[in-house]
Amino acid sequence: MKRRDALRSLALITGGLVLVPSCDFSKEDIINAYQNLKITPSLKQLLADIAETIIPAGNIKGAADIEVQDFILVMVNDCMEEDARNSFSSGLTGFEDFSKKTAGSSFGQLDQKQKESLILTGLSTEEESQKDIRDFLRMTKRFTTQGFMLSEYIQTQVKPYSLIPGEYKGDVLIADIKTERING
Amino acid sequence: MANLNIDAVKERTFQAIVIGSGLSGSWAAKELCEHGVKTLVIERGRDVKHIKDYPTTNMLPYEFEHRGQIPLEVQNENPVVSRCYAFREDAAHFFVKDKEHPYVQEKPFDWIRGYQVGGKSLLWARHVQRWSDFDFEGPARDGFAVDWPIRYKDIAPWYSHVEKFAGVSGNKDGLPNLPDGEFLPGYPLNVVERYFQDQLKKNYGDSRHMILARCAHINGNFDYYAQQGRAKCQSRNLCQRGCPFGGYFSANSSTIPWAEKTGNMTMRTDAVVHSIIYDEEKGKATGVRIVDAHTKEMEEYFADVLFVNAAALNTNLILLNSTSNRFPNGLGNDNGLLGKYVAFHNYRAGISADHEGHVEYTTQGGRPTSGYFPRFRNVLKQETDFLRGYAAGFSASRNVYPDTGGIGLDLKERLLNPDQYGPWKVGSHMMGETIPKESNYVALDPNQKDEWGMPLLRINVDYDDNDEKMVKDYLEQMTEMFEKAGFTNIQTRDDHRAPGLDIHEMGGVRMGKDPKTSLLNGNHQLHAVPNVYVTDGASMTSTATQNPSLTYMAFAARAAHHAMKTK
Repeated sequence: MKRRDALRSLALITGGLVLVPSCDFSKEDIINAYQNLKITPSLKQLLADIAETIIPAGNIKGAADIEVQDFILVMVNDCMEEDARNSFSSGLTGFEDFSKKTAGSSFGQLDQKQKESLILTGLSTEEESQKDIRDFLRMTKRFTTQGFMLSEYIQTQVKPYSLIPGEYKGDVLIADIKTERING
Repeated sequence: MANLNIDAVKERTFQAIVIGSGLSGSWAAKELCEHGVKTLVIERGRDVKHIKDYPTTNMLPYEFEHRGQIPLEVQNENPVVSRCYAFREDAAHFFVKDKEHPYVQEKPFDWIRGYQVGGKSLLWARHVQRWSDFDFEGPARDGFAVDWPIRYKDIAPWYSHVEKFAGVSGNKDGLPNLPDGEFLPGYPLNVVERYFQDQLKKNYGDSRHMILARCAHINGNFDYYAQQGRAKCQSRNLCQRGCPFGGYFSANSSTIPWAEKTGNMTMRTDAVVHSIIYDEEKGKATGVRIVDAHTKEMEEYFADVLFVNAAALNTNLILLNSTSNRFPNGLGNDNGLLGKYVAFHNYRAGISADHEGHVEYTTQGGRPTSGYFPRFRNVLKQETDFLRGYAAGFSASRNVYPDTGGIGLDLKERLLNPDQYGPWKVGSHMMGETIPKESNYVALDPNQKDEWGMPLLRINVDYDDNDEKMVKDYLEQMTEMFEKAGFTNIQTRDDHRAPGLDIHEMGGVRMGKDPKTSLLNGNHQLHAVPNVYVTDGASMTSTATQNPSLTYMAFAARAAHHAMKTK
């Protein structure tokens, strides 16, 4: 865990400096922390924007506020099979093209509604040529929700996780359960 | 120089040596030390001190880098242990990695091991059901293996002895095939589990029962357990991390510190037992040779009596490797049966379904146990085309989950406020008795050795036709019981898992009445070397269907007292 943090800081120091507003990712350094993926700082930023569209900030923090993109990259890098990793990389790399082709401009220039609509389109596309976009978005949605709900922020400040769940009750009437609504 | 040597031998001489600090070894050690016997406990792995060495025990889910999941690279390097349900990010440090401790699979066998003080007692599933004479008399009645040299009456007081100290929660069910014990209060069954009980009663009368599984968790008599530094189980269901409350029985929280407190126990960790030393003149075992796990140097320790509790297959390995002029094929192995008649529990099949009733109910809180079907097949007499039968787990649960469709603020709101109750889910898995056979065996590899110079174990264990029939019957009978209870969407599975993943491997050093057909007598002594006792899974003559750990604990306590009486 330490090694990755160190690599991550290093990437921020080195890679972060060459952040260029360009779609030509080849000019950027690859972040070494994710050795199974080819991730540049701008791709990572794009991933953060997509995650933020899936779970936006509102009354409480959103996905990008808690840097869910780090978690997504760790999970894809460490826990996914090679073909899934490849779909993820190719979907992420091709996402700006997909955005231009489908929504008419790059993702960053879309408003919130347009961003949502683009991602929903990508999540449900059945076009063979967009399979990587779909798989990439499905993985991203899965890890965004997992990373968000199982984050330190949610588990300590929003819905505190209890290590001691209490005595077992085997016949609780659902109607009697009082839960306070959390406004997202 | 001569004096120095004598002193060195003195320092290395104890009254008893126990090989293995896990569930059964720690029980032998506890009984011996408590009664004044200077005991050396030898553990091949590192020390794991209660609480102090449970690094993950109070970690929150977000503190695990992969939220519990084992990274792919680790899985690919360690395919066997990765198949174990408990090998997750929170407990991976208590499991042996395949890569570090190789063995030879003549047939697929998932050998799950825990090399540390406490062994697998940190990781076990903690269900503790007594055997009855329907189990001990099985081989004699049905004509397989050999007759057990003991019966329920021999072991019953020792079951009570270990239940009381370990702490066992359960209900007095009054079933002859699953005797009641010294129980702390049981945990509740839920509304659907109770409904299923009623359905069984209605459809099968008194011939099939689903009860609360007895489990080694403290749920009462708190002052008594406070003497061990243990407290009430908090139902965290994080047992595999090691429990800071000592809420469930582990060697680390209970028997090892208890033995230590007497001042009579010496613990030698990081010591791989190479073999048992047999003195031809004295006609008995006099000690053990160990290989230091780090320096790889060999050392010898001596004692009047030896307990081999290395866990079933490693106990076989040590005895097979203990050769001498008198025993060229392994210690006590005059009949050539050492390593043979290995058996296990058949966990291949399972079933799940929905229950559409009781929609107004759910559950809250945690519970360290579940429902349990004691064996109902072939109990009173042979009634199927296969021998013996199966026990089964059973549980019903209901979860609330969010609708995860869509994205955006709407999704966020739904994730934070889950409100979808699906139907109740019910499920069961089988625990089948397997028949020990000479063709299911372990042996030493003639050429390959591990890092410590120990021959690799070759494992040759497989299912047979009886197991196939039993899987089929379990799935048929469970489907019928589920259908009669009105459960829907019934799904059956046979995962064809390899033997071993049940982590109930047994036998190879079986007990019996006759030295020609068994290795151990009714007191767990090697027939040919009576100062060597084996009381772990290796000693099992047959497997029955019950989770075996309670029986190993009772065997160890009983044998320790026999050894003290004999001295």
